[in-house]
Amino acid sequence: MKQKYLDVLLFNVGAVIVGLVISASMLLFMKINPAEVYTAAFLKIVTDQYTLGEVLVKSTPLIFTSLAFAFTYKANLFNIGAQGQFYAGSIAAVSVSLALGDRIPGWLLIPLVLLAAFAAGGAVGALIGLAKAKCRANEFLVSMMSTYVVSALMDYLLRTVLRETKREYLQTDPISSNAYLPTILPGTRVHLGFVIAVVSAVLIWVLLYKTELGFRIRAVGCNVNAAELAGIRSQRIYVITFLISGGLAGMAGLTEINGVQHMLLQNFNSSIGSFGIGIAILANGNPIGAIFASLLFGFMNLMGNTMGRLPNLSIPASIIDFIEGIVMICVIISYFLRHYLTDRREKRKLKKEGTPA
Amino acid sequence: MAVPVVELKSISKYFAKVIANKHVSFCAHEGEVVALLGENGAGKSTIMKVLYGLYGADEGVILVRGRETAIRSPKDAMQQGIAMVQQHFSLVPTHTVTENIILGSTHGRISLKEYDKKIRLLANRYGFDIPVEAKVGDLAVGVQQKIEILKALYLNAKILILDEPTAVLTPQESENLMEFIKTYAAQGNTAFFITHKLKEVMEVADRIVVMRSGEVAGDLKRSETDEHGLANLMIGHDLTPDTKMETSDFPEESTVLELKDVTVERKGEPPVLEDVSFQLRAGEVLGIAGVSGNGQDAVCEVICGACAVTRGEITFDGRDFTAATIRQRIDAGIGYVPVDRYRDGLIMEMTLAENMMLKSSFSRRWTRRGLISRKILSDYTWGIIRGHQVKATGPDEQAKSLSGGNQQKMVLAREIDVGQKIIVFNQPTRGLDMGAVDRIHKSIREEQQKGKGIVLVSTELQEIFEMADRIAVMYKGRIVGIYRNGELTTEQIGLLMAGYVQKEGAQ
Repeated sequence: MKQKYLDVLLFNVGAVIVGLVISASMLLFMKINPAEVYTAAFLKIVTDQYTLGEVLVKSTPLIFTSLAFAFTYKANLFNIGAQGQFYAGSIAAVSVSLALGDRIPGWLLIPLVLLAAFAAGGAVGALIGLAKAKCRANEFLVSMMSTYVVSALMDYLLRTVLRETKREYLQTDPISSNAYLPTILPGTRVHLGFVIAVVSAVLIWVLLYKTELGFRIRAVGCNVNAAELAGIRSQRIYVITFLISGGLAGMAGLTEINGVQHMLLQNFNSSIGSFGIGIAILANGNPIGAIFASLLFGFMNLMGNTMGRLPNLSIPASIIDFIEGIVMICVIISYFLRHYLTDRREKRKLKKEGTPA
Repeated sequence: MAVPVVELKSISKYFAKVIANKHVSFCAHEGEVVALLGENGAGKSTIMKVLYGLYGADEGVILVRGRETAIRSPKDAMQQGIAMVQQHFSLVPTHTVTENIILGSTHGRISLKEYDKKIRLLANRYGFDIPVEAKVGDLAVGVQQKIEILKALYLNAKILILDEPTAVLTPQESENLMEFIKTYAAQGNTAFFITHKLKEVMEVADRIVVMRSGEVAGDLKRSETDEHGLANLMIGHDLTPDTKMETSDFPEESTVLELKDVTVERKGEPPVLEDVSFQLRAGEVLGIAGVSGNGQDAVCEVICGACAVTRGEITFDGRDFTAATIRQRIDAGIGYVPVDRYRDGLIMEMTLAENMMLKSSFSRRWTRRGLISRKILSDYTWGIIRGHQVKATGPDEQAKSLSGGNQQKMVLAREIDVGQKIIVFNQPTRGLDMGAVDRIHKSIREEQQKGKGIVLVSTELQEIFEMADRIAVMYKGRIVGIYRNGELTTEQIGLLMAGYVQKEGAQ
């Protein structure tokens, strides 16, 4: 067992390094010394407290969206619509914050916003689950399209009831500072949302591996026939799983609205849904792994931003997308390589023992 | 002696964690029928898949007609004239017979009419009666197998490998197949015949290679041996002779389960079940005989709740269970050992412990304060592993890494626990080796003695005769008769299974 975790760590770290090296070649073409750039960006991040804190800020919503994908993945379902559920959560978070912001204290308001964000994301999710369970709709397509529906709804609300009082931009009024998620590290923007995200990941792990419901979800995911024969109603599991998954994505709305933006903007954070999918795959669907994979992506994201801002060099922002993509591919390849090597090791062991099983 | 057509020299094949073949060597000559005999998991299929290029050998060489040959894919094998009919057919159900046969060996414009003629000629040459223009999906399994064989013959195969060909056939169809194999070999071809049925081996094989635990345990001429000797080689020791069951009568009051005119229909198809009625008494084994695919699976699924009833009634323990959910039936004490443990019985990616809690995930017996207790679950699973002598490293082992027999023991153990009142066994020993079969039969008897009602579906008449108190014979979704064990001879039941309704006085 120990060996296994060591392997996982070694292979993932190795894959990231290989990915960075390959990406470096791209910088070489641009007549930029990659070692220099990497070092400069890296140093900037680790030495500057504020920038280092940004890693956590960036990774917070990614933890939620990757959990959302990982959770349905365990039930062999695909929730491609985390972006939409995140928007639904954001709408709920901003609405509750605006409506109650000045009337009730923060310690009561934040839990209410959290519930609202979870419920809104969860409602969108549950609808997808229902479509899957009752109409045998393809959840992949339904969840994907649901993002467009929610984003159109958000647009509509931003043009009507939620529009700022100045009526200038497509955004809401800022929420009351009463509703801000408190900063937990002085000198940075790191807010309570990061803690909520980590706790959520742990709770999801417990739910999946330590409760009967989680067991049933995984059973349906691995073998729906056997699960049905064991009295587990897969349709119900589909709805529950999507509800929780959507709720998780919705909670990213809480952390982004109440923790970072403090208002709802049109099409903000438009790629955390798709990043969540990649991160969940990187973490092999493991909720705890999702925390670390999100941190890695938060880090790389920031590295890109920092590189772009390095003086005297004009590195296009798109280069970071490239680096992230390459690293992702390397990690996925390493996953198969690891399995192949473990297989071979087992075989060699058998050959040595030489007695038929 | 002439150069063998095929010679395998010291072939070894390893899978992760398992040795499938260890230094396997044997050869085959022209005109010879070689039977590969062995229990399941003995490595017979694996060695043939190596010969057919589906697996690469980790060690050893293959000689074809005296020359060392690398067979890396079925395509290579076919170039050497080697063809294999797999246990699970690889036919396209929506294509016609001809289309299936010429698939992969034709290019450009296809004149189906011409090919139809060609295929018909080929079929006639071997005495196969096959409607070449029919869609494969509409044809019976026995016919589909003939199509697979024709596919090989069409490619001019000189060496034909048949993997457990009789498993899906009626006795009559099996006999036809044997005839074909003899004719085929007589024409100077070579046939490999994988089986674990001794009778077939003695009937058709010229030479018999017995495999045990991945190694060759014996390589003999048929004339040199008999069924008893082969059985000993196969399992490595003597079998205890089967004791014939003492059948007894059970009073009607002890009925635990009753099916009354149960019919299952799906739109546009002939009924899966038609007016099936029987009673199951406590402490009784009701055997359901029949050729595979005559509604036995549906009977099982109707009892355990996986299949809804169109008409009719199910009464369990005096209560109406016609519309009860699967979960209600599990709670009421109905256990079910499904025929396909990969699909329905186990979750292969999960651990043994997790598989043990599969059917009782609602019962709260595995949790402490709402969380699953690793200790309770693992203690229980250890108990099962030791009690049923399961070869496993522990509760955390993945189900898929166990051998078939050991997997089946795990399913059996779980269902015995679930089925406090009745247990439905759907071909519980299919594909298992004799040792495992023996233990499973023992378990069934133990449960019977505890007073549980037992439904035993089997396509092996031998098993039914050995275990059942009463025998129900199924044909095309109907029960054509229920008899006390011993009332009918094997031949009579065989006829019933084949759809010949018994007439009074006719023998």
